[in-house]
Amino acid sequence: MCGIAGYFDKSGDAEAPVGAAVLNMLRALGCRGPDSAGVALYRKQQGGDLVLRVKLGENGRSKERAEEVVGKVSVLSQARNVSTTGSYLRLTLEEPADPDALGATIESVGPDVEVVSMGRRLEIVKQVGSPDRLEETFRISAMRGSHGIGHTRMSTESKVDLSHSQPFWAHGYPDLAIVHNGHITNYHKLRRRYEQKGTRFYTENDSEIIGVYVADEMRRRNSLEEALAAALVDLDGSFSCLVSTKDAMGYVKDPFAHKPLLFAETEQCAVAGTEEVAFRAAFDDSLEVREAGAREFRVWRN
Amino acid sequence: MAELSCEGRTTRDINAEIRRLMAVGEAVTARSPGARHNLAVALLERGEVVFDGSVGYYCAGLMDGATVRVRGSAGWGLAESMLSGEVVVEGSAGNSAGAAIRGGTVVVLGDSGARTGVSMKAGVILVTGSCGYMSGFMGQGGKLIICGDAAEALGDSMYETVCFVGGKIADLGNDAVVVESTDEDKEFLDTTLSRYVPPSLRANLPDGGDFRKVVAGRKLWNFDKAEWRTWEEAL
Repeated sequence: MCGIAGYFDKSGDAEAPVGAAVLNMLRALGCRGPDSAGVALYRKQQGGDLVLRVKLGENGRSKERAEEVVGKVSVLSQARNVSTTGSYLRLTLEEPADPDALGATIESVGPDVEVVSMGRRLEIVKQVGSPDRLEETFRISAMRGSHGIGHTRMSTESKVDLSHSQPFWAHGYPDLAIVHNGHITNYHKLRRRYEQKGTRFYTENDSEIIGVYVADEMRRRNSLEEALAAALVDLDGSFSCLVSTKDAMGYVKDPFAHKPLLFAETEQCAVAGTEEVAFRAAFDDSLEVREAGAREFRVWRN
Repeated sequence: MAELSCEGRTTRDINAEIRRLMAVGEAVTARSPGARHNLAVALLERGEVVFDGSVGYYCAGLMDGATVRVRGSAGWGLAESMLSGEVVVEGSAGNSAGAAIRGGTVVVLGDSGARTGVSMKAGVILVTGSCGYMSGFMGQGGKLIICGDAAEALGDSMYETVCFVGGKIADLGNDAVVVESTDEDKEFLDTTLSRYVPPSLRANLPDGGDFRKVVAGRKLWNFDKAEWRTWEEAL
């Protein structure tokens, strides 16, 4: 099960009600998985700054942890716009020469501290519980942007906590996020291959490999289309995935069409989601939807 | 004719109300179905139901004798395991439309997803658009008519289902072969299309004589050690 949803506004002005669109779709898909919910939204760029969302861990001392993270960050670059919501810290800073080193510095604060998202436009918020609870905590319906993807999870193979929730940021690749419905059956094989190259995995969730894989392909090919085409060859199992970058959103569906994924497109926007019920709940009836075919991928870009 | 609104009601309540109205001889129009699942499942009497919008998974499944029309699209498993009756979808259908039907007619006036007609035993499935991956898979009887294109692995591992394709066939499945159509086939196709397709749409579709006929080559019907290669490929 699991439900995924994506909304892409074609005007590119980053003022579309993306948060509300993705939230309304997730609410309709909530019965496909009540374990956790999350969104990855692409908001207006704030100067040239990187935006970071950091999970402060489960020890209940979020305030101290936040201060500690800001202290560590300040050695590298000045932290701006610092705020905390629940166990989340948000801050912006001038992009350092080595974003990987920045991530490692922040995560040295504690083993349960994780950079959940990093990018010039990407912000991921996710937590255990329903889409309604996600809205209560983060008010995502008020967030505007150019595009966004979301996920509501039914856990089948790994634990239920914030880190195992989706969307996944592809750690180390700014602005790249994925959501996935399905199972990657060659997960352990692929994971071993990346671990041998030094990649750190944050979860036991097979979906995490998709972000790692797409980031790796993007570094080598610099094309989301080519990365999705390659995924059809290298990933085994069942998958309907949405993948987003700072200016694009795409989907890929496995060669056997094991998992549902529908999409609709108008002159203003492109929408993708697991079931039509999400489209009917979030948009008016004129939106015509189509089931994506087996071995199909597509990218929308501004 | 009776109307009911699906808004604010549970699926169980909607289905019970449809059944109650059908029992007193009413034709039912259900408004705002909202693409929800399991609508009009297990209708065992004759009667007519119209959904004024899209429906979700398993609509009109396990049905025996009723007529269901969907003025929108349908999700996965449309009319699954139907015994008899008629289901017409004016938009597109998701995966596995007409799965395992034992009779009746399923009409999709748009595209249909992967595994259309999987394991169908009898009846007719008519798709005016294209069909997805592995349509007709393991079909045991009945007829699958695809006016548009068929995706990869059409008619894989079939028994006695007959597929007719008006457009391109991306690739035949294991043991599927193209054979000559008979005059009866052409007449059957013309009659079926005239009966179920509105005239405005009919003009753009192929004629009975333009379809290619795909059946089982019967190589997989009985295991033969001497044909190990065929089996290795099929499995």
